[in-house]
Amino acid sequence: MATFTCSAADLRPLLGTAANATAAAEYICNGFGAVSDKLVAATYAIDNTYLLFSAYLVFSMQIGFAMLCAGSVRAKNTMNIMLTNVLDAATGGLSYYLFGFALAYGSPSNGFIGKHFFGLEDFPSPSGDYSYFLYQWSFAIAAAGITSGSIAERTQFVAYLIYSFFLTGLVYPIVSHWFWSADGWASAAREDNLLFGTGVIDFAGSGVVHMVGGIAGLWGAWIEGPRMGRFDSDGKPVPVRGHSGTLVVLGTFLLWFGWYGFNPGSFLTILKTYGQTGSSFYGQWSAIGRTAVTTTIAGSSAALTTLFGKRLLTGHWNVTDVCNGLLGGFAAITGGCSVVDPWAAIICGFVASWVLIGFNKVAEKLKYDDPLEAAQLHGGCGAWGIIFTGLFAKKDYVNEIYPGKPGRPHGLFMGGGGRLLGAHLIQILVVTGWVSATMGPLFLVLHKLGLLRISPDEEMAGIDVTSHGGLAYEFHDDNDKTMKTSITMTNMDTSTV
Amino acid sequence: MASLTCTASDLALLSSSSSNATAIASFLCGRFSSISNQLSDATHAIDNTYLLFSAYLVFAMQLGFAMLCAGSVRAKNTMNIMLTNVLDAAAGALSYYLFGFALAFGGPSNGFIGRHFFGLNDFPSPSADYSYFLYQWAFAIAAAGITSGSIAERTQFVAYLIYSSFLTGFVYPVVSHWFWSGDGWASPIRADNLLFDSGVIDFAGSGVVHMVGGIAGLWGALIEGPRIGRFDRAGRSVALRGHSASLVVLGTFLLWFGWYGFNPGSFLNIAKVYGTSGGYYGQWSAIGRTAITTTLAGCTAALTTLFSKRLLVGHWNVIDVCNGLLGGFAAITSGCSVVEPWAAIICGFVSAWVLIGFNILASKFKYDDPLEAAQLHGGCGAWGLLFTGLFAKKAYVNEVYPGRPGRPYGLFMGGGGKLLGAQIIQILTIIGWVTATMGPLFYGLHKMKLLRISTEDETQGMDLTRHGGFAYAYNDEEEFSMRPGMMMTKIEPTNISPSSDGRPSPANV
Repeated sequence: MATFTCSAADLRPLLGTAANATAAAEYICNGFGAVSDKLVAATYAIDNTYLLFSAYLVFSMQIGFAMLCAGSVRAKNTMNIMLTNVLDAATGGLSYYLFGFALAYGSPSNGFIGKHFFGLEDFPSPSGDYSYFLYQWSFAIAAAGITSGSIAERTQFVAYLIYSFFLTGLVYPIVSHWFWSADGWASAAREDNLLFGTGVIDFAGSGVVHMVGGIAGLWGAWIEGPRMGRFDSDGKPVPVRGHSGTLVVLGTFLLWFGWYGFNPGSFLTILKTYGQTGSSFYGQWSAIGRTAVTTTIAGSSAALTTLFGKRLLTGHWNVTDVCNGLLGGFAAITGGCSVVDPWAAIICGFVASWVLIGFNKVAEKLKYDDPLEAAQLHGGCGAWGIIFTGLFAKKDYVNEIYPGKPGRPHGLFMGGGGRLLGAHLIQILVVTGWVSATMGPLFLVLHKLGLLRISPDEEMAGIDVTSHGGLAYEFHDDNDKTMKTSITMTNMDTSTV
Repeated sequence: MASLTCTASDLALLSSSSSNATAIASFLCGRFSSISNQLSDATHAIDNTYLLFSAYLVFAMQLGFAMLCAGSVRAKNTMNIMLTNVLDAAAGALSYYLFGFALAFGGPSNGFIGRHFFGLNDFPSPSADYSYFLYQWAFAIAAAGITSGSIAERTQFVAYLIYSSFLTGFVYPVVSHWFWSGDGWASPIRADNLLFDSGVIDFAGSGVVHMVGGIAGLWGALIEGPRIGRFDRAGRSVALRGHSASLVVLGTFLLWFGWYGFNPGSFLNIAKVYGTSGGYYGQWSAIGRTAITTTLAGCTAALTTLFSKRLLVGHWNVIDVCNGLLGGFAAITSGCSVVEPWAAIICGFVSAWVLIGFNILASKFKYDDPLEAAQLHGGCGAWGLLFTGLFAKKAYVNEVYPGRPGRPYGLFMGGGGKLLGAQIIQILTIIGWVTATMGPLFYGLHKMKLLRISTEDETQGMDLTRHGGFAYAYNDEEEFSMRPGMMMTKIEPTNISPSSDGRPSPANV
């Protein structure tokens, strides 16, 4: 912001020896001071409005994921999976407040981990207000939600509580510190010592959120093994259908809706100019709008590619596959949404669709069972998204969003050299390594203690009946129990119902 | 915004003979200039925040319509209708980005069609930023969604892909150009040569969106004919109940929620004053008032439908009330910004009867529309346009469309008949254009046997035959105790057609 600080001492000499020079100077400077204060306040109000409403949108992705999960699992396990989603938000609220946020953003600190703001002490500060905390919380619970999809339908509820707390409170915040805090060793916004002279550009979290959730889910699902009946005795995959295509679509659309907070909201502020003298119609608000457009286009491109791809591969038009493809496109564009052109987003979505199809085939071959395809979608498409950014990040956009270092690397295909891509490959390796080193042993220990997977009897009956007080759906009155008997009898004889 | 420009010569006079006059002058003018720039930036930020969040709300209507559609059709066709809704958004994003937006708003251009910004080339510009593109995209996909309701449960998926791309990529953008772009021949914001000295006031699209979607649906449904079993051999109407009232209500509420982006958002910016600055009343007030007129019209329509249906059929029908509510919204969409709240009540009241009337007409003509889309969006949309021509208030019209004092406004408000005349022209033009484009398209598809599905597909349900299986699977296939019973049922010679309410039962699997 151009300065217009005004001191009476500056102005007074200019007004010459007029007897009222001092009074005039003070009067004028007070006026400017008041205007300046008001503009500063207005800026905070505008930016906080923007960030708060973006946070509410990201929170609505929790609803979306809950519905997606519910629709994708069998009816007998619906209560279980939805409870895990509700509790991701609830336990995440507490753990992130108590220490998650501090470990992530407690600056000033070191490159590995934060160390201020435990329990939001000494908060807010000039660098972050409550809206920022809420926004980051909504991201943290998204990561934990992803993992629950991989281990759905066969995981003990206690194991779930333990891993979720650990993931949202420790594993995820540390990763977000590395790539998003101004201190983080791989952050693109560091003052100095940028990784490969560039740092990692993972704008809204293809790696930080999606890969973390996906890789954690991968270990959980791998260690506890596939659901009963998912692979037959010859090792061939058997489709285990979700119980409601409607909930899958509802969830997908809600996630799409919320993604408009997830991607564009990651700018954190909207009232910012990009260095032009005077005023321009183009500013951070334009970049934000462009980010909403790239997000939309990547998801749409992935959806269409999946539609036609699956039509070729399976012979029909599959709604749930299209929904998953759509979400894979969003997971992929999340890393580079702010630094690429809309046409590049089309490519991102197109490739993401095939990445998902490919990883699903690999999963089947390896007899890996993931009820929500979470590891393949969030892990696989997330990793593609990180690579995509290293290829297509545009110079102008990179310098607008990460200013102050002219000549910094950008996308390889855009003439920016290979260093950004190199940094991004480091991100993929580091995230995979860190999450494997933390969540892998955790799941293994839970498994060894017999706390991870439910018993076969429980799996047959459904977790809702055994651990959650009953089934989710009750379409017939209890009185109909007598009717059920008569239906069985009717099946025995040949007359029509 | 009041100007803060400041010229050195103005200030120099104030200090007359002081030798520092120039220095003072540039000091002060520099400050004022800086403030002016910052206020301009703030305004851009505020307006873009407003428009972006409005766009997200309009996008939420896509979800609402998907749930409304799903709940209104039988369970065996649910996957099909929801896939069409997902793809309206996805295919619409690509076609609107590549050329739809350009044909609609690519100015400067001519009165018929736009010609800049293909693939968002030379974008953004001072006249339009990305938030505007996203907002218009959200509208475009809404129009395509409406049509899919009319032809639900019996249309081939390929036909759907073809009509949807054509509607979102061409038919709809051209219409929006006529009535909403600065160049359009019937636009109220043209520089000159306004239609009937007025131009058409279709603020958020009772005509541009709802009628376009409804008339396109009308032709599709007419050409392909009613669903099997919808009219019995005596020609009497048979109710084909939707499979989930909960989804209908969910969808209706989501549409209501999203309508707060659809109607008030159509102002496009919020930080604007009407006349002198510094007062509490500005465009933000008009926006709030628009949200209120929207609400009142929908509520009145809902209540009117509730009681009139109670009289007509003897019970309180939640599905009908939901449809009536939506009809009220479709009607108020045209004049929401230029009428008083009390007028919105009249709008909703009449639209309820318009919908009931068109439904009775549809029955008589054996026209089958699973979502009543043509009756609701086409019929109530048309009423909404007439309503605006009658009730548009002078003060509001001049606030929303400034610069032409003495311009026509609502007939019942003393504004003459020219606005109403223009609205009637809009109704006729839209019907004509959509008929001339979508009619032949549907007819061509029909002749090539690409439109309607086979009788067998329709009996079994498209989900099973084309979409990989039913939407719902409440009972595990692994429940071995069920299997003997099911197998025995299959041996039975009768009972191959599903139950009429579409609920999954052992015989359906």
